[in-house]
Amino acid sequence: MTKSFIIFLFGIFSIAGAVGQTIVKGSVIDGTSDEPIPGVTITMEGTDLTTQTDAKGEFSFTSNVPFGEQVLIIEKIGYTTKRYPIIVNEGKTVNITDMSMDYNNDNRDLVVISITDDQLNSEDNGATDNISGLLQASRDVFLNAAAFDFSATFFRPRGLDNSDGKVLINGIEMNKLLTGRPQWANWGGLNDVQRNQEFTMGFSANDYSFGDLAGTTNIIMRASQYRKGGRVSYASANRSYEGRVMGSYSSGLMNGGWSFTVLGSRRFGNEGYVDGTLYDANSLFIAVEKKMNENHSLNFSSIYAQNRRGRSTAITEEVHNLRGRDYNPFWGELNGEIRNSRIRRINEPIFMLSHFWDVSKKTTLNTNVSYQFGKFGDTRIDNGGTRLVTFNGHNSYIGGANNPDPTYYQRLPSYFLRDPNPTAFDYEQAYIAQQQFQNDGQLDWNALYIGNATLAAQGGNSIYAIQEDRIDDKDFTVNTIFDSEISEHIKINGNLNYKRLKSENFANLKDLLGGNGFLDVDFFAEETDPNAVDGLLENIAQSDRRNPNRIVQEGDRYKYNFEIDANVVSGFAQGQFNYRKVDFYVGASASQTSYQRNGLFENGNFPGERSFGKSEKLEFANYGVKGGATYKISGRHLLNLNASYQTKAPNIRNSFNNARQNNDVVIGLENEKVQSADASYIYRSPIVKARLTAYYSNFKDGTDIGFYFTEDIAGLGFNTGDAFVQEVLTNIETRNLGVEFGLEAQVTSTIKLKAVASVGQSIFNNDPNLYLTSDDFAGALTFGDGTAKLKDYHVAGGPERAYQLGFEYRDPDFWNFGLTTNYFSNAYIDVSNLARSANFATDFDGQPVVGYDDSVARQLLKQEKFDDYMLVNVTGGKSWKIKDYFIGFFATINNVLDQQYKTGGFEQSRLPKYGRLQEDQTRETGPVFGSRYFYGNGTTYYLNIYVRF
Amino acid sequence: MRTIKLNKLVALFVCMFALIGCIQDDDFEAPDTVVVDPSIPGNIIDIDAVLGSFNQSGDGIITFEGTNNYMLGYVISSDEGGNFFKKLVLQDRPENPTAGIVVQVDVSPLFTIYDFGRKVYVKLDGLSVSVRNGVIQLGRREGNNLARISSARMSEHLIRTPEVATIVPLEVSIIDFSNELESIYIRLNDVQFNRFDVLGNNPKTFAAEDDDQFDGERLLEECGGNSSVILSTSTFADFKALRLPANRGSVDGVLTRNFRDVFYTIYINSPEALNFNNGSRCDPLEISCGLSTTIGANNLFMDSFETQTLNSPISGNGWTNFIEAGTKRWEAYTATGSNASLGRSARIGSFGSNDVSSIAWLITPAINLETNTGETIRFKTSNSFADGSTMQVLFSNDWDGTMTGITSATWSIVSDAYVVQDTDPFGPWFPSGNVNLSCATGTGYIAFKYQGSGQPAFDGTYELDDISIDAQ
Repeated sequence: MTKSFIIFLFGIFSIAGAVGQTIVKGSVIDGTSDEPIPGVTITMEGTDLTTQTDAKGEFSFTSNVPFGEQVLIIEKIGYTTKRYPIIVNEGKTVNITDMSMDYNNDNRDLVVISITDDQLNSEDNGATDNISGLLQASRDVFLNAAAFDFSATFFRPRGLDNSDGKVLINGIEMNKLLTGRPQWANWGGLNDVQRNQEFTMGFSANDYSFGDLAGTTNIIMRASQYRKGGRVSYASANRSYEGRVMGSYSSGLMNGGWSFTVLGSRRFGNEGYVDGTLYDANSLFIAVEKKMNENHSLNFSSIYAQNRRGRSTAITEEVHNLRGRDYNPFWGELNGEIRNSRIRRINEPIFMLSHFWDVSKKTTLNTNVSYQFGKFGDTRIDNGGTRLVTFNGHNSYIGGANNPDPTYYQRLPSYFLRDPNPTAFDYEQAYIAQQQFQNDGQLDWNALYIGNATLAAQGGNSIYAIQEDRIDDKDFTVNTIFDSEISEHIKINGNLNYKRLKSENFANLKDLLGGNGFLDVDFFAEETDPNAVDGLLENIAQSDRRNPNRIVQEGDRYKYNFEIDANVVSGFAQGQFNYRKVDFYVGASASQTSYQRNGLFENGNFPGERSFGKSEKLEFANYGVKGGATYKISGRHLLNLNASYQTKAPNIRNSFNNARQNNDVVIGLENEKVQSADASYIYRSPIVKARLTAYYSNFKDGTDIGFYFTEDIAGLGFNTGDAFVQEVLTNIETRNLGVEFGLEAQVTSTIKLKAVASVGQSIFNNDPNLYLTSDDFAGALTFGDGTAKLKDYHVAGGPERAYQLGFEYRDPDFWNFGLTTNYFSNAYIDVSNLARSANFATDFDGQPVVGYDDSVARQLLKQEKFDDYMLVNVTGGKSWKIKDYFIGFFATINNVLDQQYKTGGFEQSRLPKYGRLQEDQTRETGPVFGSRYFYGNGTTYYLNIYVRF
Repeated sequence: MRTIKLNKLVALFVCMFALIGCIQDDDFEAPDTVVVDPSIPGNIIDIDAVLGSFNQSGDGIITFEGTNNYMLGYVISSDEGGNFFKKLVLQDRPENPTAGIVVQVDVSPLFTIYDFGRKVYVKLDGLSVSVRNGVIQLGRREGNNLARISSARMSEHLIRTPEVATIVPLEVSIIDFSNELESIYIRLNDVQFNRFDVLGNNPKTFAAEDDDQFDGERLLEECGGNSSVILSTSTFADFKALRLPANRGSVDGVLTRNFRDVFYTIYINSPEALNFNNGSRCDPLEISCGLSTTIGANNLFMDSFETQTLNSPISGNGWTNFIEAGTKRWEAYTATGSNASLGRSARIGSFGSNDVSSIAWLITPAINLETNTGETIRFKTSNSFADGSTMQVLFSNDWDGTMTGITSATWSIVSDAYVVQDTDPFGPWFPSGNVNLSCATGTGYIAFKYQGSGQPAFDGTYELDDISIDAQ
């Protein structure tokens, strides 16, 4: 029998204290090093009483303590959870000192971080809303499955994504105003110092913020909250990075009230599971805290997480069939090395100063100041290099090249077979294209350099260059969080926040690829473009009319250049009421948000104030209310209800319809209105923990903007319907409805069984408004009644149904093994909105398409449902204690059966017209503009070896 | 205790840095882009030999197999400006070329690899020669047609050398045009664009007019001669929207045939191929006495064609009806409806004639400008799809009155007369105004000269009526 098991059997403490208040208090220490462990969550089982240990590893419950036989649950990420039975007598103090916790070699949180990192890897937004990072701190069996086993598939619990949740560090909200999403890379590679996490499900009462529908995670990164000691680890994997080294040390609370923590890590890899996806990330963390006296502490935390990744993209079925799911068109060989043309570089250090003030025994005030600044960059190949030819008193720009992407549709076999009844010659051409694509099929860097060198020899400019789209933010936040226990039964808390963002957005000329300079004009500009008041190409083509025909060099800003100023003032207040049978909470929030764009370039297509100088200032006032209750039928049976209504400001990206070119604000921009309700039945016994929840949420007045090239815009005239467009969708209403279930049974002391299920539906609940803008036509273009007929289409985003069966075996001899089988179904493609608008049935002249057959149209517009699939994941680990050192390893193998599956995908909007789409979709040799898919990884592994002291 | 822990800390970081993986950063060295002189593993032949074997074969298409022949050529086309698409034009020498050929390649752009002046070898085995669009081309055989060399096979068939030669354009005149000059880089000296395209407030662009399809076709006239040639510019050219210059000068470009193989035409690589630095145009003479507010009572000549025979050439009443080129002449017609004639009227149009060129004259009898005073002329014109054709009203006082003397006489444009424009609606008739002729001297003739563009499918029709010449 292990030590912990003995404690389990005999650890019944009942120490009498002074008569009066009923108090349960104690402390937690590390079973190996005997050092106190801060940040351990202590819960009284069957109640909502929960608290955390402080820097000395101490905790106490002073109010609302239930009497009789109770069980204390002590939990912390990275440690094995323990249960301590206690007996509480009225008016007595229970003091349990030095409860020990054993370090758990099952470091699954490390795996999750690597999965959330995958978000960085994707070209499109399909994977960026993965929610798993948000949920990793949850101890709910269902959310655990969602975080760890479902995350490889874009599964969205309750149909929500991570912009519906909040990530806080030290109580400061980290979601970006640009997208509403947390940028995980900003704190990647810091796993060892992110074990102190508190997760609040949904809108439940939260100590730091009003919260959000998908839940709130607060990562506590205070120096005093780390266990004394160090850890060195090395991880090897083949998903995103190949290797990771990490070392950390925490001083614990030292003499003079000081404590500090440092961490350094490096993640690296030439290729992940997908070809050509390099990984190069360094992270540093330093936190220093001074406990000035019993009531005041001051903490400084700084995060420097620099990340460079090679990206990949969604591919068509045709490309997948020719090259497989690990194919990536973005890279090519250069000088014998892999070079990826799409590099994402994130380097946004964070500095936080926090003041903790115990105003009284029952009241705390936590005030934080945070400053984050830095660079976010995405590179791509710019193939629009030209040279200025002045002729007859006017300018023209000659040059430019085709898209060098090896998957460009004109290079694939389907293109050569696009005509009806292909000839033998067509088949020969298709075969040649197929051979070339299969045998080479990567980016030809040499051709780009040769092209530039050829032009440079004639004194010309670069035709190809590397463009880096940059977002350089300066983000200042100050907030104060108030928390007070007014009485034994009532706790109130609230906060006040001010956030100010200055965001510089521009294209940076990253690399001239051997050339001498790049002419900063829009190669695609045409004199016929309508937005220009003076129709000369030499004006329209300018990126900046105030600085025309500029030859730019590496490091120069070009193409577009603007600033966004954003200010958010917000606050919330909340009351929590705990009684013997019922706990309940109510909360309310209010906020004022403003955005303003300031154009630094005067765009050729949008002269004057339309692009240059300040835009209209957008102001949004919002509020939210929430409430919930838990009814305790008994200690084992609980009913829980939550409901909320809130309005949310649109994010910056959805507020300006093309901020890169002009000051135009989205027409019909509204605050989003979100209402939600859920009801749960919870069962908790020492052996079985189970939860069954029914949920509902409804989102109104949502906004979404897409960018693409399309060939068939109705009403623009014959053969002139081509345009690069911004598609603006407003008045979006979506509805999520479903049930989720989780059950965990500790059938023996070593074996735990898990069963999880989620069955839901996320659909569009109305026909949103759709309009297009472009520099190729004037004004906002709408079709028919101005809507896209999306009602009852599924909102894309992972499987709507997910099931898991699993078991864990934890041997007393410090090794463990786990296996889960996960089954997914009802995942749907992201449909083309334009093809669901009246554009689909309307011809070039604005008249109905001739020969339109409603049943054929239905077939063409049917939303693709992906095949079901099953993923089997195994985990295992072992640890040894050698003198003062704790050595262990942990490994996972994901998708053991090497299942092929699509995690998501989207229709291209290139042919949003009845006849064209029909022709493309029904071609025997496959579509030329088929849907593009994200394919899941095959079998991958992760192995982590560590030493702890 | 503290020191032990610090030692551990140091060990930790040493350990970390020892294991760090090195990832290639973004600062890639430019690869070696120097072109190495290839060694050609076969026989080197010139373009003439390729043209010769095609011409001698008498076949519509021939294919090279097992010859081990490599054709040498210099690139004279450039798709930088978008005026050439997926083709290279090669000629045999940088200077004084004698033969040229087009090579079809399914790659865009080509100028980044096969730049202007680049010496290349073309591996012939596997390629075919045929005539397409009127000129001899190399490509891949597709049935009896010629298709582009696929991108996968480009580097096999088109072998670059380090040499980029200075191409010296071959100076020629329009009348020299022949098969031998096709696909050769030529220079035309002392040319100008037709005054209707470039004079006035709104000169035409290279290829961005509303009616430009595929190519913008603009008439280039040779000064000091009567010849003209069409300059063609793709509507995909980057410089299509530039305005044509009114000056005159030289043009360098590739001589070829138009798409339908109907006429010779020139494509330029970029606008820099035009060197129009001479500000004085070589337009025909003009006579302009202004418009007159009154019309004299003394009618010198009048014809409203009512006595003409329908659908027959205009004749009698002193008219000279002359075909300078083609088969069409002025004739009498009648029409009702929306495009009605004025009773019987005269018209001319080369639409559907299949004439390479249509030039026709209708000349009045002589007018004595010495004995009369206050002479005026007035007439009415209308048109039907007149795009691509022109009608001029001309004056001469040195014509000898013979048909053979027409083209050698001095003709001046009566520039005050309003002649129906392309932009006018086709239905109405437009009066010329009371055109004053009193500043002219001697014995004069007025001519209505029609000129088709040489594209019979696009040529329009001009209609003429109610001609009246009066004096005080």
